[in-house]
Amino acid sequence: MKACTFVVLTMLAAAGSFHASLLAHHSNVGFAVETVNTATGVVKEWKWMNPHTWLIVDVDDGKGGSVEWAMEGRAPGVLLRAGWTRTVLKPGDKVTVHYSPSKDGSKVGMIARVTMADGRVLPNAPPAN
Amino acid sequence: MTKRIALLTVAAIASAVAAPISRAQTPSGAQTLPDLSGVYYPVNAAGGGARAGGAPPAPQVPPKPLPAPARTAPLSDGSRGRSPDAPVLTPEYMKKWEAMRDSRIAGSSDSDNTAKCLPPGMPAMMNMAYGMEIMQTKDKITFFSELNDALRRVYLDGRKPTPATLDDPTYAGYSIGHWEGDTLVIETVALRDNTYIEGFTPHSEKMTVRERIRLLPSGLLEDRITVTDPIALVKPWETVKTYRKATYPNDQLREFACAEGLEHAR
Repeated sequence: MKACTFVVLTMLAAAGSFHASLLAHHSNVGFAVETVNTATGVVKEWKWMNPHTWLIVDVDDGKGGSVEWAMEGRAPGVLLRAGWTRTVLKPGDKVTVHYSPSKDGSKVGMIARVTMADGRVLPNAPPAN
Repeated sequence: MTKRIALLTVAAIASAVAAPISRAQTPSGAQTLPDLSGVYYPVNAAGGGARAGGAPPAPQVPPKPLPAPARTAPLSDGSRGRSPDAPVLTPEYMKKWEAMRDSRIAGSSDSDNTAKCLPPGMPAMMNMAYGMEIMQTKDKITFFSELNDALRRVYLDGRKPTPATLDDPTYAGYSIGHWEGDTLVIETVALRDNTYIEGFTPHSEKMTVRERIRLLPSGLLEDRITVTDPIALVKPWETVKTYRKATYPNDQLREFACAEGLEHAR
């Protein structure tokens, strides 16, 4: 069973859809929403898609290398109202991500806030109504 | 006399400010009904799904370092138990809730219909966390939710559910409504039992929903909801939702297209 899972995951990774495939089956309950960690790194990909956006980031591992993380963002409709756009983040951008970690320990997080290199802040919700 | 006129003028202005209820002309022109059409966002929605007016904010450089956020979303796995305001479940349905709570605490999305791109269903749909569009005609009022592109239709022309519709439960259910003065009264039946009343509170197919919707003098829209379920609930559950009408550009809901995520998983 484990070998089978490994093969499937490897195939998905090869197809470039590894992380996005994970989130299609997640909801908030998959994350420790009241734990907020911080990661700094470089944007690899910014996927503007429903039902969740995805920010793929090469996160500094503190040893001179990096580890790829998939950070789940809210839906484009909500993020538009919070000041994000389809092109607000680009590959190569340096970012700081506040995120809640996945309960299963995988390198998947849920975005609380993204801070760009120039200090601009992208919150995960529009101002209170 | 002058003083009295001044007072009357102030009163007239105050009443004009306090009662911005727009009205739709009926074909006869003899009487008017409140016009609820427009895009709305819930007031003080948990999770902050919405913003009512003005241009979208450009990303800002805050004046000083912001404190780290305390959380990314409201806790929704039931690990703190049920709210005192939550529907009171019968022992049978409480067991169902507890099983889902344990599954959610373990991180499973099995009990999350939204994660499966399914409609939120009534009455949870009326949370409208990502915005609601109301389209009103004389004979029908339609509620659209940006979240999962969900839709419900309320017939105002006097029709009643037939045995066939009663035997065909759906997520939004079958809704008929009528006006009592300026209040729209809606009865909803024929609801599927795989949705939730709120949060992940389960219910039976016997659930019915009664709503009283009206524009308040403040201009906010109010929906007073009563949920009755003789099998799942110890007593009817009441809740009140309020919404604020949006202005440009937030009066434009965005396409949700949830299946994009499912497509990507293939």
